[in-house]
Amino acid sequence: MIQHGYELDFSKQTFGVILYGAPGIGKTTLALSDGNNGGDTLLIDLEHGVGRTNPIHRMNASVLSAATYEEVLADLNTPEAAAAKTIVIDTAGSLVDYLKDWAMRTKEGAKTKAGQWNGLKGFGFVKTEMESFVNKIKVVMNKNVVFIFHCDEKADKDGNPIQRLRCEGSFRNTVWTGIDFGAYIQMLGNKRVACFSPEDEFFAKGCHGISGHIEIPTLTEETKNDFLQKLFDTARANMISENAGVAEKIEQYKKIIEGVKEMVDAVTDADTANACLKAIGAMDHALTSKKEAGKILTDKAKTLGLTYSRAAGAYVAGDPA
Amino acid sequence: MKTRITKTLLESWAYTFDCAEGYEEDAMEDFIKTLKREPIEETEAIANGKAFEAMVQALTEGREVSLGKWENGARKVADIVKGGQWQVHVETDLTVDGREYWLHGFCDVVKAGVIYDIKFKSKSFNGLDLYGSYRGHAQHSAYLKCLPEAYEFVYLVSDGDELYTESYNRYNARPIEDWIREFMSWLQTKPELLQIYEERWQYT
Repeated sequence: MIQHGYELDFSKQTFGVILYGAPGIGKTTLALSDGNNGGDTLLIDLEHGVGRTNPIHRMNASVLSAATYEEVLADLNTPEAAAAKTIVIDTAGSLVDYLKDWAMRTKEGAKTKAGQWNGLKGFGFVKTEMESFVNKIKVVMNKNVVFIFHCDEKADKDGNPIQRLRCEGSFRNTVWTGIDFGAYIQMLGNKRVACFSPEDEFFAKGCHGISGHIEIPTLTEETKNDFLQKLFDTARANMISENAGVAEKIEQYKKIIEGVKEMVDAVTDADTANACLKAIGAMDHALTSKKEAGKILTDKAKTLGLTYSRAAGAYVAGDPA
Repeated sequence: MKTRITKTLLESWAYTFDCAEGYEEDAMEDFIKTLKREPIEETEAIANGKAFEAMVQALTEGREVSLGKWENGARKVADIVKGGQWQVHVETDLTVDGREYWLHGFCDVVKAGVIYDIKFKSKSFNGLDLYGSYRGHAQHSAYLKCLPEAYEFVYLVSDGDELYTESYNRYNARPIEDWIREFMSWLQTKPELLQIYEERWQYT
C-alpha cells in the first residue's frame, strides 16, 4: 500500500531509546516505565539486575533470563514477547558479550588458530547478528526497543569528564543511527533528570519535541512508573502535528523538483536558461527546492558553456568576466 | 569593512585548541596557511575522503564505478543522499557585534530540507567513540545559518563498511555568531593575524 505523507498514521509509532548513566541511578526502573498492564514490557535481563528494582514499579514487565544468545532468540518467539509493546535490553553491552560467546561457539572465523577471540573477524559476526536482532525487534515485531548501557567516565584532553557507553565493538556508535531518543541519566542537585540534548560531558539525542533536561519523578508506592509511556505519547502527538505541516511541504517539494527537471531538460541556450531561471524564481517553493532547483539549472548551464553573471542577473554565454 | 568567513577557517582555528597533544604547532601552521589562503597539502585522509565521496556520487547517478572494499559503506550513504543536489553553494550576510561578514560554503548534498555532509574514516568504527564527535564543529552551525529553509544537518560517517549518523538542527546547534565572536576576540589579541585576516578575507 502506498500512502501520501499526509495520510500517514503515527498514532501507533514505535521508538528506539538509549538510556545510560551511572550504576544505581535507576536506568532499569526507568526502562520499565512504558505500559500499565502486566506483560506490556519485556525485559531481557542479561545482568540479572531486575531484582534491584522495586516490585511495584515493575508490575507491567515480563522478564526474560537466558544463559546464551540462542536462548534469547528462542524466547523472542514466545507469546510473552509477542504481547509486549516494549522490549528492554539490559544491558546492550552484555548482549554484545553474549554475541561474542555465540560467535566463538558457532563461527569458525571468530577464533584465532590458538582458539582465542579474533577481534577483527569476530566483531564482524557480532555486528551482523546484532543488526539482524535489532531489526527483528524494531521492524519485524514492531516494538519499542530500549537499550540500557552502563557508562564509563573518561577524561577529555583538558581533563574534563566525558561519559561514554560501555560496550565493545562498533555497536556503541551505530546504535545511535537507528534510535529516536538517547538520554544520559544523572542527578542534578537532588533531582534525577534524563538529558536528551548533547552537552560537553555527554552525547544525547532528542526529536519530535523531546529535548533538554526532563525531570524523572520520584517514585513512591502510590505513583505510577510511566515516564517512557508519557514520553512516547508526547512524541507521537508531536509527530502527528509535525506531519500535518511537513507532509504537504514534502509533496509540494517533490512536484517542484520534478517540474524543474523537466524545464531544465528543455534548456538549450542562454535565452531558455534565463526563462527557466525566471520560472524557478516565480515558483511557490517548499523546503530547499529553490536552492536545489538553482543547482540543477546551474549544472545544466555549465554543460552548455553558460555562466551566471551576477552583474546582469542572468546566464550569459562564456565567462562573464 | 566587510570580510568573508567560512566554516573551514573557523574549524582550522578551533583545531589549534582541540588537536591531540604534541600536534599544536602543526595545527597552528595549518591555521596560518588557511588564514593566508594558501593551499593545504592533500593528506592521505583527505584523498580517501574525496575518493569515497566520488564513489557515493557515482552510485547515486548510476555511473560505472569500481567499488572495491568500500562498497558496503558507499551504498549505505548513497541510499540516503540519492536524488539530492551535490556541492550546493550557500551564503548569507550577517552582522556580529557591528561587524559585517559574508558567510559561505559548499554543502556536500542538499535534499528535501536536509543538508548532508559525508565523512570518511580510514579506521574501523570498532575502536572509536564517534557519537558526539561533531558537536564541536562549526559546519552545521554555518550551513544551517546559510540555508534557513533546511531544518536539519546530518553528518554521514562511514569507515567504508558501516554508517554512523549524527544530526543537528537549529535548536541544538551552537549559533554561528558565537563562533565568529570567539574567533574575532581571539584575533584581536593577535594584531598581526588580524591584519592578515582583514587583508586576505576582504569581501569585494
